[in-house]
Amino acid sequence: EAAKYEKKVMVLDFVMPTPLGNSWGLGGTCVNVGCIPKKLMHQAALLGQALQDSRKFGWQFTEEVKHNWMTMTESVQNYIGSLNWGYRVALREKKVTYENAYGEFVGPHTVKATNKRGVEKLYTAERFLIATGERPRYLGIPGDKEYCISSDDLFSLPYCPGKTLVIGASYVALECAGFLAGLGLDVTVMVRSILLRGFDQDIANKIGEYMEEHGINFVREFVPIKVEQIEEGTPGRLKVTAKSTKGNQIFEGEYNTVLLAIGRDACTRKIGLDKVGVKINEKTGKIPVNDEEQTNVPYIYAVGDILQDKLELTPVAIQAGRLLVQRLYAGSTSKCDYANVPTTVFTPLEYGACGYSEETAVEKFGEENIEVYHSHFWPLEWTVPSRDNNKCYAKIICNIQDNERVIGFHVLGPNAGEVTQGFAAAIKCGLTKEQLDNTVGIHPVCAEV
Amino acid sequence: MGWEEKQVRGYPEFVQTAQRYHGRPIFALFCGDKDAEGRSWCPDCVTAEPVVRNELRNMPDESVFIYCLVGDRAYWKDPNNEFRKNLKLTGVPTLLKYGTPQKLVEEECFKAELVRMLFTED
Repeated sequence: EAAKYEKKVMVLDFVMPTPLGNSWGLGGTCVNVGCIPKKLMHQAALLGQALQDSRKFGWQFTEEVKHNWMTMTESVQNYIGSLNWGYRVALREKKVTYENAYGEFVGPHTVKATNKRGVEKLYTAERFLIATGERPRYLGIPGDKEYCISSDDLFSLPYCPGKTLVIGASYVALECAGFLAGLGLDVTVMVRSILLRGFDQDIANKIGEYMEEHGINFVREFVPIKVEQIEEGTPGRLKVTAKSTKGNQIFEGEYNTVLLAIGRDACTRKIGLDKVGVKINEKTGKIPVNDEEQTNVPYIYAVGDILQDKLELTPVAIQAGRLLVQRLYAGSTSKCDYANVPTTVFTPLEYGACGYSEETAVEKFGEENIEVYHSHFWPLEWTVPSRDNNKCYAKIICNIQDNERVIGFHVLGPNAGEVTQGFAAAIKCGLTKEQLDNTVGIHPVCAEV
Repeated sequence: MGWEEKQVRGYPEFVQTAQRYHGRPIFALFCGDKDAEGRSWCPDCVTAEPVVRNELRNMPDESVFIYCLVGDRAYWKDPNNEFRKNLKLTGVPTLLKYGTPQKLVEEECFKAELVRMLFTED
């Protein structure tokens, strides 16, 4: 965007390899080890389900359908490779200088870039934008870095993970557990306390229930204390020992793969921010910025997952970045609107949401001032193959004091992301319950509920 | 050792040649056929060829550069021709690094900088 306004721009992108030596190309987390491969693998799992359903719709095939991990992973990685290449071409065409080097501040207006061969170069600039994102957190227990994998490794794993233990209850943990099970693997999820912290808990529990009923094992209220290797191999065999959070019970299990998904930490500690005086939250590593994405140092800005108190979503980061550049170089005054940002969790039963969760709405407006409308629904496509008839669910939360304005939208069901996008636009326009009631539904689709 | 060039015509010859050099970096430039005077029916190919040839020295050692004539205009326009179907080519000229998603299509091939980037990318 900045290059559009004739600015001289340089991008420093470098991926520190994972403990197991994995790295990737230009594009950041979303493209390489996040949203893109995740959605593709989720789709692979959905297609498996569709193949099962198809028999009830009249498709006849006698062979048992099996899944090949390598075929899927190769296709996914190939697509990601084309995206990496596309970005390289786009940057070049727009005359943005790109260096595959690790950047860190060494003094005012100056960064040092170190490439993978250790060669250092110094660069100065008028302004800097930090968008270094996050990396998966490790547990800090014996065997974690040597034997466990994270989402950074999963999407390019050169062998099928086999029987897998997922540690964590974040959306990353549940989405991965979901598609791995959907591909036919034996999956267990170890949860310390609640599922999907920060999301509507009523829905989080429904998601957990659905996953459990569909063959994913849950081990609740336990934390792992060590991981040992029983046998080497691709995959090998690992033994996990865990302790209960509520007593002295010990849990032991054997798995081919252990996937850690307990959270992500901002990459802000080793980029020399102290040398230029940028304040970070010491505890979380996040950077506080004003509503113009500016840090406490006027010529240094930040966007994306590293920002304090802001949503960790790709489109939010992109929007914030674009608007920032337009404000700096094209005379715009638009600021990034972080309210009512829609999001979707691609668990086996997808969850789309926009606005407040029920708990947060009650906290902010008071229980007597909000009204919740909800309904279970049975997608027409699920009737014939006799799939669950009481699992899909939708609810809206309205603010009674403000014309019953819709302040929270939640839907649990197939294609939740597609459904939510339209409603997000309506909510941005100030949708009220009455307007929603007056909108004629499309039939037969899930969204008409 | 430097690099070497192989000139081929048509899909089967291309595949045979690419397979023979499996293990070495292979770059391929696909152009429309040339007439008796050596001019291609594809004007963009005429523009791109000198740009690409000028950058060949930037290919890594041991590289193989395959210069492939795809066929006449009628063959190329057929949506089911083997290059479109099997190599997923969408236009000529196309310059690609065989076995990777890295490629440059049509006007992208006119830009020396992009061509150089394709040849020198890890």
